Amino acid sequence: MHDNEVVEVRNLIKRFGDFAALDNVSFKVCKGEIFGLIGPNGAGKTTTLRILATLLLPTMGYARVLGYDVVREADKVRSKISYLAEDAGTYRNLTGYEYLSIVARIYFGSLAEAEDAVEEAVKISGLGERVTEKMKTYSKGMKRRIQVARALMTKPKMAILDEPTSGLDVFHAQHVRGIIKEHVEKDGAVILSSHNMLEVEHLCSQVALIYRGQIMIEGNPQEIKEEYGATNLEEAFLEAAGKWET
Amino acid sequence: MGNLKPLVEKEVKDLLRDPRIYIGLLIPILMLPLIGFAMSVAVRSATEAAMKEMKVAVLDQDGTETSGNLISILTRMGLNMPKVSANSLDRAIGEARTLESKALLIIPERFEENLLSFGKVSVKVYSIVDSVGLGSEGAYAAIDGALETASEILSTMLISKLAPNVEPDVVRNPLNVTRYTIIKDRTIKVSPRVLLGQLVIGYGIMVPMILFILAITVTQIAATATAVENEEKTLETLLTFPVTRYDILMAKLLGSSIVAILGAVLFTAGFLLYFEGLFSLPGMEIGVGAVFHALPPPPLETYTLLALSLILSILFITSLGVVIGALSSDVRMSGSLLGVVIIPVLIPSMLIMYGDLKSLPLAFQLFTYVLPTSYPMIMAKEMIISTIPIEVIYGIPYSAALTLIVLYATSKLLAPEKLLTLQYRLRLRRTKSRRAKDLE
Repeated sequence: MHDNEVVEVRNLIKRFGDFAALDNVSFKVCKGEIFGLIGPNGAGKTTTLRILATLLLPTMGYARVLGYDVVREADKVRSKISYLAEDAGTYRNLTGYEYLSIVARIYFGSLAEAEDAVEEAVKISGLGERVTEKMKTYSKGMKRRIQVARALMTKPKMAILDEPTSGLDVFHAQHVRGIIKEHVEKDGAVILSSHNMLEVEHLCSQVALIYRGQIMIEGNPQEIKEEYGATNLEEAFLEAAGKWET
Repeated sequence: MGNLKPLVEKEVKDLLRDPRIYIGLLIPILMLPLIGFAMSVAVRSATEAAMKEMKVAVLDQDGTETSGNLISILTRMGLNMPKVSANSLDRAIGEARTLESKALLIIPERFEENLLSFGKVSVKVYSIVDSVGLGSEGAYAAIDGALETASEILSTMLISKLAPNVEPDVVRNPLNVTRYTIIKDRTIKVSPRVLLGQLVIGYGIMVPMILFILAITVTQIAATATAVENEEKTLETLLTFPVTRYDILMAKLLGSSIVAILGAVLFTAGFLLYFEGLFSLPGMEIGVGAVFHALPPPPLETYTLLALSLILSILFITSLGVVIGALSSDVRMSGSLLGVVIIPVLIPSMLIMYGDLKSLPLAFQLFTYVLPTSYPMIMAKEMIISTIPIEVIYGIPYSAALTLIVLYATSKLLAPEKLLTLQYRLRLRRTKSRRAKDLE
C-alpha cells in the first residue's frame, strides 16, 4: 500500500447466499481525496462502505484502511475511521449535546480534547440552542446533522459517509458539503456514497460508478464526462450502464 | 474502564428516560401501596359497617331462664338479638332475612334441662350470607367468637356448680403448654408453626419473589435496551466506535443491572408498603418480622455467597436479554421472544418458592440446578435455618463458568455480520409460520 493511499480495496467479493452484492470490486482512495461511490439502489455502495467500516466481512478479496486489514485488524481500523450509516438513528432520550459528549469521551483520552470536539460538533451541526434538547424532538434533518457532526468531530483520518446529505434540505445539504470539503483540507480523506450524481460531481475529486456489484468506471468526474461525451455524471452513468448491459 | 464509563452513562440515561422503562419501574412503588391502602380502607370500613349493628335473630324454642340468660350474655357482648317466633325453619329464616339479620340462632327445646343435667346441648346457627366481601367474614367471625365466649361462661357456671372450690380454667385447660423452637444454637419462645409460617412468608416466598422480579426486570430491560438499538438503527453506528464488543456488552449489562436493581428496590418498597397496609387489617396483625429479630443473624459467608450467586445470576440472565434484544428487529419482537427465557426461569422459581426441591423428581431438580438464576433463590431460602446448601457451593463455580461462556458467546454475537444473518433467518421463520397459519 502506497504511503499516500488511505484505502485499498482489491478484488472484493461479498455474497449473501446466492446473491453477489459485490463482484470483484477494486479501487483506491488517497489522502486529501473525496471519493464518491455512485450508483442506483442495490448496486453495492452500502455493502462496500460497511465492509470498510468493519461491519461486514468480505467473502473474498481484501480491503485495507490506513494500512490495516479490515478483517484481521478491525480494532485498529475502527480507531482511525468514522462511519455514518445511511439510516443512522439517534438515542431518543438523550440530548444532542449528551450524545456528542459521550461519543467524544469514547474517542478522546483527555476531557479537554473531548470538550473541544463537542464544541466543534455543535458548530458543525448548526443546531444552536436546540442541541440541548432531547433528540426525539428533532426533525429528520436535525438528526442527520447531529450524526454528520458526530462523524466529523473526531477528525478521523478516514470518514466513511453513506448518503451524508440524505434527508437534508438544500441549505443544510450545502452546509454539510462545505464541512466535508473542510475536513479533507485538514489532512483527512472521505469516501461517500450518494444517489445524487450532481452532488458527487461537484464534491468529489474521484468517483467510481458502481452497478450490480461491479465498478463500471472510475476516475475524475471531468475525465469520465469527457470519456462518455456527457454534460454531467448522470448522463455518463446512463451511457456506461447501457454499454455495460450490451 | 475508560470507554466503559461513557457507554454505561449512555445506557442508564437512555433507559431511565424511556417511558417504557420508567413507567414499569414506578408502577409498583405507586400502585402496590395504593392497592394495600385501598384494601385496608375497604375491608376496615366494611368490617366496621358489618360490626356496627350485628343482628342475630333468635328462635328460642326452650323459653326458659337459662336460654334467656344465654341471649342476654350474647346481647351484652354486642349482638343485637331480635326474637322470631316462627313454627318452621323456613319461616324463621324468612323472618330473620326480613329483620336483615346476619344469622339465625335456634335454641332448642329442653335446652335448660339438658344443660343443667350435664347432657350435650346443641344450638344451631344459620349464617345468612348476603355479601362476599372480607368485611362480612369479620362479622361472622365475631358471631362465632361471641358464641364461644358464651359457651365458656356457661361452662364456668356449670363447673362452679359441680365443684365450687375448683378453678374452672384448670378443668377446661389442664395442660399449660409453653412452646419453644430451637434453631441452630438459639432457643426461641415461639411455636414452630408460627416461626415456620413467618419464615415461609419471609424467606421462602418474599425474598425469592423479589429475586425473581429482579431477574425478570433485568432481562426485560437488557432486551429492550438492545432491541431499541436495532429499532432506532443506532447499533450499527455503536459497533463502529473504537470500543470492543466486550465493552459494549458490559455497558449493556451494567446499565440494565443498575436500572433493574433500582426497579427491584422500588418494587420491594412498594411490596412492603402493600403489606404494611394489609397487615394493619383487623385479625391480620400477625407481626411479620417480629420473629426474625429473635433469630440468629445469618453468618457473613452466607451473605457473601448470596451476593456472588446473585451477581452471576444477573450477568447470566442479562446476557440472555442482550441476545434476545440483538436478535429482535424491534421492541415488540423482543417482548415476544422474552417469554422463551422467562418461562424456564419462572418454573424453577416456583419450585423453589413453594416446594422442597429435594423431594422433587430428578428431572425437575436438574432443570432447576442448570439455571444460575436458581442459586440465589436457594441461598436466600436456606440462609437462616440451615448451613450453606451444598448445591450452592457447587453451583457458584458452575454458574461462573456458564456465565463466562454466555458472555463470550454474546460478545461474539454482537457483530453485524452475524446479527443480520440471524435476524434475517428469524424473520424468515416468522413469515413462514404466519403464511402457514394463513393457509390453514
